[in-house]
Amino acid sequence: MGPAHKGAQHRGTAGEPEVMASALEGIGKEGKKESSKKRSGSPVEGLLQPVKLSRAELYKEPTNEELNRLRETESLFHSSLLRLQVEELLKEVRLSEKKKERIDAFLQKVNQRIMRVPSTPETELTNQAWLRDGVRVPLHQVPYTVKGCFRFLPPAQVTVVGSYLLGTCIRPDINVDVALTMPREILQDKDGLNQRYFRKRALYLAHLAHHLSQDPLFGSVRFSYTNGCHLKPSLLLRPHGKDERLVTVRLHPCPPPDFFRPCRLLPSKNNVRTAWYQGQSPSGDGSPEPPTPHYNTWVLQDTALESHAQLLSTVLGSASGLKDGVALLKVWLRQRELDKGLGGFSGFLVSMLVAFLVSTHKIHTTMSGYQVLRSTLQFLASTDLTVNGISLCFSSDPSLPALADFHQAFPVVFLDSSGRLNLCADVTASTCHQVQHEARLSMVLLDSKADDGFQLLLMTPKPMVRTFDHILHLRPLSRLQAACHRLKLWPELQDHGGDYVSAALGPLTTLLEQGLGSRLHLLAHSRPPVSEWDISQDPPKHRDSGVLTLGLLLRPEGLTSVLELGPEADQPEAADFRQFWGSRSELRRFQDGAIREAVVWEAASMAQKRLIPHQVVTHLLTLHADIPDTCVHYTGGLLDALIQSLKETSSTGEEALAAAVRCYDDLSRLLWGLEGLPLTVSAVQGAHPALRYTEVFPPTAVRPAYSFYEQLQERASLLPRPDKPCPAYVEPMTVVCHLEGSGQWPQDAEAIRRVRAAFQLRLAELLTQQHGLQCRATATHTDVLKDGFVFRIRVAYQREPQILRETRSPEGIISLRDTPTSLRLERDTRQLPLLTSTLHGLQQQHPAFSGVARLAKRWVRAQLLGEELTDESLDLVAAALFLHPEPFTPPSSPQVGFLRFLFLISTFDWKNNPLIVNLNNELTAEEQVEIRSVFLATRTKLPVMVIITPQDRKSSVWTQDGPSPQTVFRPPLDMYDVLIHLSPRHIPRHRQAVDSPAASFCRGLLSEPGPSSLMPVLGYDPPQLYLAQLREAFGDLALFFYDQHGGKVIGVLWKPTSFQPQPLKASNTKGRMVVSQGGELVMVPNAEAILEDFAILGEGLVQAVEARSERWTV
Amino acid sequence: MVARGRKRAARESEKGILSPPGYSAIPIKFSEKQQSSHYLYVREHKVREGTKSSWPQKRTLFVLNVPPYCTEECLSRLLSPCGPVQSVELQEKPDLAESPKEPKSKFFHPKPVPVAYVVFQKPRAVSAALALKGPLLVSTESHPVKSGVHKWIRDYADSVPDPEALRVEVDTFMETYDEKMAEEEAKAKEEEGVPDEEGWVKVTRRGRRPVLPRTEAASLRVLEREKRKRARKELLNFYAWQHRETKMEHLAQLRKKFQEDKQRIELMRAQRKFRPY
Repeated sequence: MGPAHKGAQHRGTAGEPEVMASALEGIGKEGKKESSKKRSGSPVEGLLQPVKLSRAELYKEPTNEELNRLRETESLFHSSLLRLQVEELLKEVRLSEKKKERIDAFLQKVNQRIMRVPSTPETELTNQAWLRDGVRVPLHQVPYTVKGCFRFLPPAQVTVVGSYLLGTCIRPDINVDVALTMPREILQDKDGLNQRYFRKRALYLAHLAHHLSQDPLFGSVRFSYTNGCHLKPSLLLRPHGKDERLVTVRLHPCPPPDFFRPCRLLPSKNNVRTAWYQGQSPSGDGSPEPPTPHYNTWVLQDTALESHAQLLSTVLGSASGLKDGVALLKVWLRQRELDKGLGGFSGFLVSMLVAFLVSTHKIHTTMSGYQVLRSTLQFLASTDLTVNGISLCFSSDPSLPALADFHQAFPVVFLDSSGRLNLCADVTASTCHQVQHEARLSMVLLDSKADDGFQLLLMTPKPMVRTFDHILHLRPLSRLQAACHRLKLWPELQDHGGDYVSAALGPLTTLLEQGLGSRLHLLAHSRPPVSEWDISQDPPKHRDSGVLTLGLLLRPEGLTSVLELGPEADQPEAADFRQFWGSRSELRRFQDGAIREAVVWEAASMAQKRLIPHQVVTHLLTLHADIPDTCVHYTGGLLDALIQSLKETSSTGEEALAAAVRCYDDLSRLLWGLEGLPLTVSAVQGAHPALRYTEVFPPTAVRPAYSFYEQLQERASLLPRPDKPCPAYVEPMTVVCHLEGSGQWPQDAEAIRRVRAAFQLRLAELLTQQHGLQCRATATHTDVLKDGFVFRIRVAYQREPQILRETRSPEGIISLRDTPTSLRLERDTRQLPLLTSTLHGLQQQHPAFSGVARLAKRWVRAQLLGEELTDESLDLVAAALFLHPEPFTPPSSPQVGFLRFLFLISTFDWKNNPLIVNLNNELTAEEQVEIRSVFLATRTKLPVMVIITPQDRKSSVWTQDGPSPQTVFRPPLDMYDVLIHLSPRHIPRHRQAVDSPAASFCRGLLSEPGPSSLMPVLGYDPPQLYLAQLREAFGDLALFFYDQHGGKVIGVLWKPTSFQPQPLKASNTKGRMVVSQGGELVMVPNAEAILEDFAILGEGLVQAVEARSERWTV
Repeated sequence: MVARGRKRAARESEKGILSPPGYSAIPIKFSEKQQSSHYLYVREHKVREGTKSSWPQKRTLFVLNVPPYCTEECLSRLLSPCGPVQSVELQEKPDLAESPKEPKSKFFHPKPVPVAYVVFQKPRAVSAALALKGPLLVSTESHPVKSGVHKWIRDYADSVPDPEALRVEVDTFMETYDEKMAEEEAKAKEEEGVPDEEGWVKVTRRGRRPVLPRTEAASLRVLEREKRKRARKELLNFYAWQHRETKMEHLAQLRKKFQEDKQRIELMRAQRKFRPY
């Protein structure tokens, strides 16, 4: 059966007319042509178009190849998009063939040059006079005296090892590891002892460096540490000229094979004598020498370089899927900053891990790169290497040590094929846990079938500052030396060759982990970066590696408890507890009668409670590690000050918001129980940001000072007085009150409004009568003063938006069409309350939500963009950070949440993606896919930012009126065309400003809240009234920007189009004048008069209008 | 810019003020202190013969570009030297359709803005107004107009509503509404089942047998129900060709998806989305 026939038949059954199909075909072809043109020509536009394919293309007979590819995609990847993405990524990080050729040529030259380096006569190790000027030994020789002789001979063998040979090295930094086998003549027996081997290794490199640096072939010759290990320097060679950034060749000297006896280097053996290390004469008191497992491992690593390379090349050599997988894993680790430094989870380690999984048949050689990534992550997520070590060695040789021996010496165990070398020797337990945590998160992400899983998994960087809730820096690092002594870590220092940072790291993290206990989810530490230095310089000291950063991922449930409960006083553990907490531990009697040891932290407000980890950390570090709190730089509540309502208190407003919500709950109970309303109340819903905990500065209970106001006794209201500064800003909190449906409601929009007004009046009457509340009714709302809070109750009738939508066609059919009024009503009475209650729920789940949302709003408004980005849209973006935190976890502190907010809005591609906020998890994966396709099809009609919620699947209600494209991409605090300076006297929220003024005007409030019989001045905010007037009058000529939290400047931006001369038209004469241009009458804005209008409209409020004239012309 | 503007202003005063054809321009200022002025563009209100207009012909002045601080009273005061003013109405847009206006309640409709219709008592005044040279002053010693803080305070005071007045308004409206409804009801009852002169009987909501409401939603519902019924009857993958077609359809879906994905990749590549560094 031919394709044509098939197509025809299909058409027939689908019942689609022939003409239509051919027309479609035409469009399809055109579309394709266009898109292909776009592809080759201008991707500048950067907007996705819906795909149009012709029938013939869609239904043509598939080729074998195509079918194979489709089948492969289905079985090996989880979607075709993912497959394409992975292929693209690999293309990007892989070395191109051309570059490989250049690198190979360079390597050959390097090989020749190394072989040509002249040898030197034999000297004592301590006699380093033969070393030329201009090169320093890349090793701290402490203690200096050591036995042995050294001479330089060209290496016996030069071999390329590592990822370059395997083809798994990834850009951007391409390294080629070259092992230089030192000739046997250089080494002597017992070189394994007392760093003799490392000294020789360093001298070998120093001599080599001196000679190679003379060579014009190399652009730079520098030293570095191999994987950050301070005993093992390596030499970095970079080509000269334009290839300088192409490649770094790292030279690692290694001993001849079988030189060291492996049994001497087992983890239980000592190879650094205490007497030598501490510079004393051997005491001979027979006390056993402490084992030096790390030292032994470093020696062993050098002996095994080649065998590891061989193992990897036999396993990975022929399987391209495995290589892809290793490359992907490397990218994965790199994005998480796990691969660098001493004890990092390096690419080599990951390759070995893949080799291990192949040997245990968890990975098959035919698997795709994606599957390798997935299986490896699965393994990492489910296996705790700190408890169950793994081994590549399958021999049952009884002379080999058991895994348990390694567990005693190292926190993390992964043995190589010899069974004697622990590949993870330097990896700390917390790094291992971090890797495990990341792998677990990634597995969840992969299983969730999220559309942009690839992006989140491999393309999103996770720097510590955005990953962890609290960050602390230890600085200066030299304090850690004292800490080592305090913690009695002398054997460890001896083992680590004096590197006190890595020696102290393990014990410190354990200490903090124990202290933070249930508050902590994960503690991670940064690894000191691997430094590079010039060959003429001394190697960097341990303390030069900058700062040690610790990241705390907190557990919101345990975070806020102020009590550390210890054992009962008579238990033996009580002593340990006392010892651990020191003077903070005290005996307490609890309500159940138990007398226990306990630690109580002082924290009154939520903000302080969130910072209890700070207290814990400083206390423990001072107590146990002798690190004073001046060395601990803790960032956890850095931004709290910006959302503190009163600068004097330390609360960030959670308490005030809770008080407002409690008052609202009381009010809603009153409304439910109200007797005498003709219809019963069917629902009371909050619709104000304060009621979803996202109002930046929460409302407080007010009590006005009457003398400050004019009084309107007959309506029980206060009025502002012109001669006083403007009164405090009191914003009423909107509450929507739905009344039950009834046949009695009129079916006419105007009449419904009247009936609603009657209900507002009645509501006010009843609340006053039955509960003695001060009320004020208007046609659209009733203001109620309760306990100093003012609520604005809006009565709503469910069917009203429906009635507003009804239009009657000429045939008499009633159809529903959205009108601006109906949309607004729908938004105010249905969607807004729904959003409010959902976000209220979110706050209960994630206590940090309030802080994040408020910080985000505060920031946006301080950038004068508050008017464009609505409250609700910002709340939703903040909610997205909690609902879709991938690849992170939901933030537990406002600070990290805010940083992620900034990252999101700076990187999110609004043009091509809707931000889907899956509130209550209502949208299924299929629905999300559909939403995306609808989005693409209707992109041009949608607003710039599109935020989708389960309630609002198509139109993005909250971003309809803005922001305009200019504002989203405007650099913050850009220069405005006109600045209007305002007088603080009439800015009621003056004290909320970012740079809070020391004092402001009296706003007519008594300091203590109490009952008031008069309604305070509501919603009177002169800058806002002024703005409204400006926008109304000149909104089509200019944009106005203002920070509603105490801003003193209004920025005005002329719309670029408004200054183009317009033809004469009766409808657009506003604010313009007629001028003659080239004999033609056109209209241009009457700028001078408008500027004066700015001053006139804001008389009393405006201090000055500053025209930055040079920035615009008529 | 300001200097240039002055120059232009000077140039204009020499040449006379320009105005769109058919209109004449009257400069208007807020007060003496304001240096440059806005321009009111005025014209006699005319409509084509035969079309109805809510404004009387000949006596009405059509004003464009009314500045934001200019109220109805203000305009009336400014134009009264030309002749007694009967009414002033401010609007957002020029009135094009001849919809009859209902008097609007101040409780339910906020004030609109910058087009005005000024109705004079005598036609003569219109031509006098057209010849006005100005500049008109909105706020003078004798009639100060409030702006800025003073205006907002007054607005706030005005916005504190009088519940009694509101109640009266609502009550009267509802009374007339109820009357109107009752009237319609009575009329509908009367017409119920009675054929008109051609013998047609009007079917109403209140008939004995309930009928389908004539709404779009209802008709869509019916269509939907039909469609579902048809779908239920159909057999899936029964015939071999159906099988084949389902497979083909699946393949087509995959192809389409593949194309979409390719496009996305293309775009991402353009945006350098594949650089993990």
